[in-house]
Amino acid sequence: MTPSSRTSPLSRLAQPLPDLLAFAALAALVVWGVLAGARNLGYHWQWYAVPATLLTWGADGPAAGPLLQGLLLTLALAGTALPLTFCLGLAACLAALSDSFAARAVSRLYLEAVRNTPLLIQIFLLWFVAAPLLGMGRFTAGVLALALFEGAYAAEILRGAVLSLPRGQWEAAHALGLSRAQTYARVVLPQALRRALPPLTGQAVSLVKDSALLSAISLFELTLRAQALVSDTFLTFEIWFTTAGLYLAVNLALSAAARTLERRVRLRG
Amino acid sequence: MAFQADRCDPARAEAKVLGGVIVEARGLRKTFAGGIEALRGVSLAVRQGEVVVVVGPSGSGKSTLLRCLCGLETPDAGEVVTDGARLPGSRRDRDRIRTETGMVFQHFNLFPHLTALANVTLAPRLARGLPADRAEAEARALLGRVGLKDKTGAYPAELSGGQQQRVAIARALAMRPKVMLFDEATSALDPEMIGEVLEVMRGLAAEGMTMVVVTHEMGFAREAGDRVLFMDQGRIEEEAGAAEFFLSPRGERARRFLSRML
Ligand SMILES: Nc1ncnc2c1ncn2[C@@H]1O[C@H](COP(=O)(O)OP(=O)(O)OP(=O)(O)O)[C@@H](O)[C@H]1O
Ligand SMILES: [Mg+2]
Repeated sequence: MTPSSRTSPLSRLAQPLPDLLAFAALAALVVWGVLAGARNLGYHWQWYAVPATLLTWGADGPAAGPLLQGLLLTLALAGTALPLTFCLGLAACLAALSDSFAARAVSRLYLEAVRNTPLLIQIFLLWFVAAPLLGMGRFTAGVLALALFEGAYAAEILRGAVLSLPRGQWEAAHALGLSRAQTYARVVLPQALRRALPPLTGQAVSLVKDSALLSAISLFELTLRAQALVSDTFLTFEIWFTTAGLYLAVNLALSAAARTLERRVRLRG
Repeated sequence: MAFQADRCDPARAEAKVLGGVIVEARGLRKTFAGGIEALRGVSLAVRQGEVVVVVGPSGSGKSTLLRCLCGLETPDAGEVVTDGARLPGSRRDRDRIRTETGMVFQHFNLFPHLTALANVTLAPRLARGLPADRAEAEARALLGRVGLKDKTGAYPAELSGGQQQRVAIARALAMRPKVMLFDEATSALDPEMIGEVLEVMRGLAAEGMTMVVVTHEMGFAREAGDRVLFMDQGRIEEEAGAAEFFLSPRGERARRFLSRML
């Protein structure tokens, strides 16, 4: 008899039990720590006031509360910046790997400038210096700042993935007579993108979190809404916990979607 | 057109008819970074339908020679002329040599994200501009010819080494090359799979494909080869008919090499 045939369905269900118990204990410890901290501060919890920050019931049905409005703007900013980030990253990656000295130099300059200065300062530069020159609105400037910043990291992720492919792939494509563009499109990028998907997902999550910095140019996204609510209502803990929970939910959904995509494009065999 | 009348190979019923020179290399030199002289003046001429086997110790420059012939490596000096296209030369010549020279690698280098069928159809569609249905029909015929009719939908990772190498051969043939280069096509294979790949190569040779074959399979070299080149330290040290080379190598180095291989 093999061990597996001896275990009853019940004991198989019970197998992850110690693990789950440990997790529950840890979670309880964290919650208890927070509550104890708040009690020491003499904090007066008012969770009942939170739902109204998300949804309010007006005369003509439900309306988005300030936090939900902020969340929607955050989603719009991140949702617009994400495809732009990918395109910028891909372009910078291809430029960095090209034979043209000019393309490599421009790409290098962009990557180094963006990755070695604070995002906050880039946001200020775009909004206070570039936007008036180019006639950009607040939203456009915000999206552009985010995409330029995250795009630099996406470029390096993609470049690493391209370089990680065995040289034989390039050589086979070359020997078969494919052009450089054809080799990228049909041989190299399909493989490199699969390899880059997990780190690119991480970059997308960073993008959502970094969008909070756009509050510095008065874009009323989630974080700025939360800040305003806190100073109005003094529901410090409730609002910040709720806000963190919203970011968490968005990013967990994003990661789950990415994992589904990963599974779908995984190579057979 | 000329007959190779002076060769008396008992295994072959009739003398093979060879065409004119189709691949020619003149004075190829290649020095790699670090000062390694991989090729020090290599010249050869391959005639249409001829099977040239290149043997020699490790590091003697066999791979570098093949890579120069298909344009993967640019020689420091000398030139390659394949069917009138010249290397180094214009971009058009380079592209012609790439498409007219089929290359089979030691490690197959199949595209892992494509099925066997898609591996074979990719280049004809992109580089020959063949419509998808024609490319697919040709690819199915080629995969059938290498004995993989029922593996068209398999991904490389689902195939054995021998099967992968046969897909790689079909992929190279799909470009309708004028010459096929094999760089140790069986060296990465388990012993029980070497036979099936050599079988395909023998079939190609019998059909009159022009081939330059780097191999350590001395049996194959003797049976299928018309001519043997023995390379050592970046030079062609010895050149002879296959039967003659294996019976009585002239040079001391070739003799020592053969005694180690056989
Ligand atoms: N890309 C490269 N960079 C530097 N040196 C190289 C490179 N390719 C080959 N060489 C060197 O050139 C010499 C000839 O190499 P080559 O691969 O042509 O030999 P070979 O006859 O094919 O050997 P083997 O039987 O081991 O495959 C060797 O000394 C090798 O180390
Ligand atoms: Mg070699």
